[in-house]
Amino acid sequence: MNKDSKPGETNPGLQARCIAGREIVFDGEGFFNDFFDWSEEAFEILAKESGIDCITEQHRRVVRFLREYYAYHGRSPLNHQLRNGTGLSALEMQQLFPEGIKLGARRLAGLPNPKTCS
Amino acid sequence: MKSVKLTVNGIERHFIADEDRVLLDLLREDLSLTGAKQSCDRKGQCGACMVIVNGKAVLSCLTKVSSLDGAQVITIEGLGTPDNPHLIQEAFVLAGAVQCGFCTPGMIMASKALLDTNPDPGKEEIKRALRRNLCRCTGYKKIIEAVQLAGRFLRGEITPDAARPSLKEGIMGISHPRPSGLAKACGTAHFTADIRINGALELAVLRSSVPHARIGRIDSSKAESMPGVVGVVKASDITGTNILKYLRADRPVLCGDKVRYIGDPIVAVAAETKAQAEAALTFIEVDLTPLPVLDSPEASLAEDAPQLHDEFPNICLDQPQIKGDAQAALQESAAVVEARFQTQINHQAPLEPEATAAYWEGDPAADEDAKLVIIGRSINIHYHLGMLQEALGWDNMSYREAYSGGQFGIKLDIISEGIAGAAAIHFKRPVRYIPGLTESMLMTSKRHAYKMDVKLGADAQGRITAYRNDILVDKGAYYSIGHVLIMRSLLMLSGSYHIPNVDARARLVYTNNPWGSAARGAGPPQVNFALECAVEMLADKLGMDPLEFRLQNSLKPGQSKSTGRVVTEWPLPELLEAIRPHYGRAVEEAKNYRNGPVRRGVGLATGSFGIGGPGDVSVAAVELDPDGGVSVFAAAADPGEGNDSMLLQLTAEFMGLPFEKVRVHTRDTDYTAASGPAAGSRITYMIGSALLDALSQLQSAMNETGAKNSDALAVAGKPSRYLGRKRNEDAGPLDPKTGQGPSFESQVHAVQMAEVEVNTESGEVKILKMTAAVDAGTVINPQNLTAQLEGGLDMGVGYALREQYIAGKTKDWISFKFPTINHSFDVETIIRETPRPKGPMGATGVGEMCMVPTAPAVINAIKNATGIWICDLPATPDKIKARAAALQQEK
Repeated sequence: MNKDSKPGETNPGLQARCIAGREIVFDGEGFFNDFFDWSEEAFEILAKESGIDCITEQHRRVVRFLREYYAYHGRSPLNHQLRNGTGLSALEMQQLFPEGIKLGARRLAGLPNPKTCS
Repeated sequence: MKSVKLTVNGIERHFIADEDRVLLDLLREDLSLTGAKQSCDRKGQCGACMVIVNGKAVLSCLTKVSSLDGAQVITIEGLGTPDNPHLIQEAFVLAGAVQCGFCTPGMIMASKALLDTNPDPGKEEIKRALRRNLCRCTGYKKIIEAVQLAGRFLRGEITPDAARPSLKEGIMGISHPRPSGLAKACGTAHFTADIRINGALELAVLRSSVPHARIGRIDSSKAESMPGVVGVVKASDITGTNILKYLRADRPVLCGDKVRYIGDPIVAVAAETKAQAEAALTFIEVDLTPLPVLDSPEASLAEDAPQLHDEFPNICLDQPQIKGDAQAALQESAAVVEARFQTQINHQAPLEPEATAAYWEGDPAADEDAKLVIIGRSINIHYHLGMLQEALGWDNMSYREAYSGGQFGIKLDIISEGIAGAAAIHFKRPVRYIPGLTESMLMTSKRHAYKMDVKLGADAQGRITAYRNDILVDKGAYYSIGHVLIMRSLLMLSGSYHIPNVDARARLVYTNNPWGSAARGAGPPQVNFALECAVEMLADKLGMDPLEFRLQNSLKPGQSKSTGRVVTEWPLPELLEAIRPHYGRAVEEAKNYRNGPVRRGVGLATGSFGIGGPGDVSVAAVELDPDGGVSVFAAAADPGEGNDSMLLQLTAEFMGLPFEKVRVHTRDTDYTAASGPAAGSRITYMIGSALLDALSQLQSAMNETGAKNSDALAVAGKPSRYLGRKRNEDAGPLDPKTGQGPSFESQVHAVQMAEVEVNTESGEVKILKMTAAVDAGTVINPQNLTAQLEGGLDMGVGYALREQYIAGKTKDWISFKFPTINHSFDVETIIRETPRPKGPMGATGVGEMCMVPTAPAVINAIKNATGIWICDLPATPDKIKARAAALQQEK
């Protein structure tokens, strides 16, 4: 496995990265391959990489909601469910996560993409 | 117009009908009797529309209503209901003859017409009665058995209760009828085209008739002024990305600048009726400036070839696989064979044509959060939902899987949903997009064509030493599953064998041919065809018996595949031993037919098919219900394999519940866990394992608290819902330079034997019998397992001998050469059950492996009979005849 590469750069398939001393597998879009590989520490590192310099309580509220939703349903919420669940508007969400809800919030919260095929 | 009185299912009806109106349309559209299906564009080719008129089975798609004055019509709905089924409907379910269920109503009506006049028909009489009815799932064996069982029911020799397995016999390993069986047999299972939506617009789509062109002016003004037309949708009307990205963002919902294959969609017309939409289509003017056509991978790789996609080079992937030193090993080998193998572009050929219905929950004109519901045939509803959200620019959507008339990989990618969803958003109205068969064949994905230059060597003792394979794959116009196809081909390149030295290269190349995607097996059927034929050639060259040669070279625990991964179990030799007596018998019998123009031959091939790919993860949720039952929430699509049986039987067995207390929810993104696609034969292994993990958590909570239902768990402070997971240990891609790396967690193994009769003068090949020895681990439902095997063998034989998709020429089931009941052959299955330690209760998958060894077994049998090698599929009569003549001349 190519541990030095950023996810999705050289191979369209799965990529392993070493984050905080732990090898984690990401898909081609940089999403956690497994929901249970996520950790607060990984979140903080990935958030910084995505341009979030200061993690606020609002960030954590979004991440908490997303993870609780997935742990219960086994899928990601729709955007309006996320808005209702966090009390944050789409604009606020965009400001919190510059890469947007999917590539920002959902990715950083460790929610995996639905699987394609293998 | 003509006034017609007829009786339908005992109710007198009066219609004023157009002279051209056919009974099928009257039943489906006017009476909502949708049990009779439309598949073949009303050409009388498929029998899915069969009903009984005046005691005779007729094709309702060819029967004019105007000819039916005074007629007695019986449809599938007139026989029975799931609560009170007809004996023939029960027989079809109990015999395991119902898989996807799309052909089932027509089959049952043809059977009823037969049994009404002949209650004890022989096999040939059944085949004659069902000669007009097509089935893609079963290989017809269980359908013939169902008619025989129905005869026994009707003659009073046995009752359905006596034929139905009892729970007292156990749950695992027993052929309990699949939960969806009776709904399909009674015509109450709704497929997408059966779903009526009040006020829905109907769509027709203008598609490219050329393989490569730049789109210029589009003038739809005349079409938009046609009666009933509401408007058109073009690429510029789509507010999302307009790109359907499965693994690469290259396929537009509607083409804006270029078309890249015959069938690429350009404009959709929406009208109040389908006829109006289709009529308007002919008035749309599109300027297409032809561009150079890249009709093969070689043309696309030429130095001066234009780039098909601005963003991507023509070569999508170039992946080597290097293990040991194949060049040196080949040089030192005592025997080497060399050949070029080619496989064709093929259609997966589910009997149900493509279809999507879309409607709104809420008013999209007033509420930007109104929900768009897409109903279709997806086998990956959560992933497809995400694709649609991005492509169409609408977030609040859900995807509901209707009953699916087979799919065999064709629905791993989105097909008609994008256009239907785009139109629903553009017009803010419900829509239905129900293309006919010809358009469906144009627009859907296909099986990839492979060219493989192969060298295989062995030492003097008959041990395989080295394998070279230079693989060139025709990607077609769009990427779809792209690299996954290549990885799967290389992950299974060495098949069942221990090959110490491998030198392979697999290149995937865009062309202007139909776009390839998943197709039962997706890659391994192609590469296994080359390997198994080469193995046969090598055994022949060494003068060794093909079975002994395979046995000697079988991989063994502790040895590694071409990926370098060492295997811990490999129960292939046991299967070779199991088929040995059958092989001996077949070889002896064939000896009597070695001279003259009609000759018999026997061919073997193996398959070791990976299940549970590297990095695969699945989830499933379970919930304890107030009555102590369990609800399962997992997006496990079931286009006919019997996944509903699998989830039901695993849950009932694990929890000790009766079937009626297990509720399985699999079809809706609003209610299911995102369990991943019904592809790669992964459903049983991955979702079944995730299910058991969830049930295990639930059972622990129940044991800990003593709770027997959800209320008691709540009182004890425990949740009633649990998310289970299955994660394969290995993850990550193959090394880009060596192709070495992680592999599948489990394998399903098979040995197949073909017995054929070849007429060297006509080139016709008759399959006398196929024998399949299979080890798929612990068997959950034997009938579902053998149903997959029989259907897979039928599909594999079609792939070997007849089927091919030629763009612009293959337009229906006749030109596709769809296998009929008259092509059906004897099948014998030998089942071994080596429990897979990491599979659910020891099980693994089986759906694709069924056809992986079939084509090489058939081709090897043709060689055995005639001395002729057919290395380019399909082995049509013309090819065989020509090569037989050439061989005769050489002599």
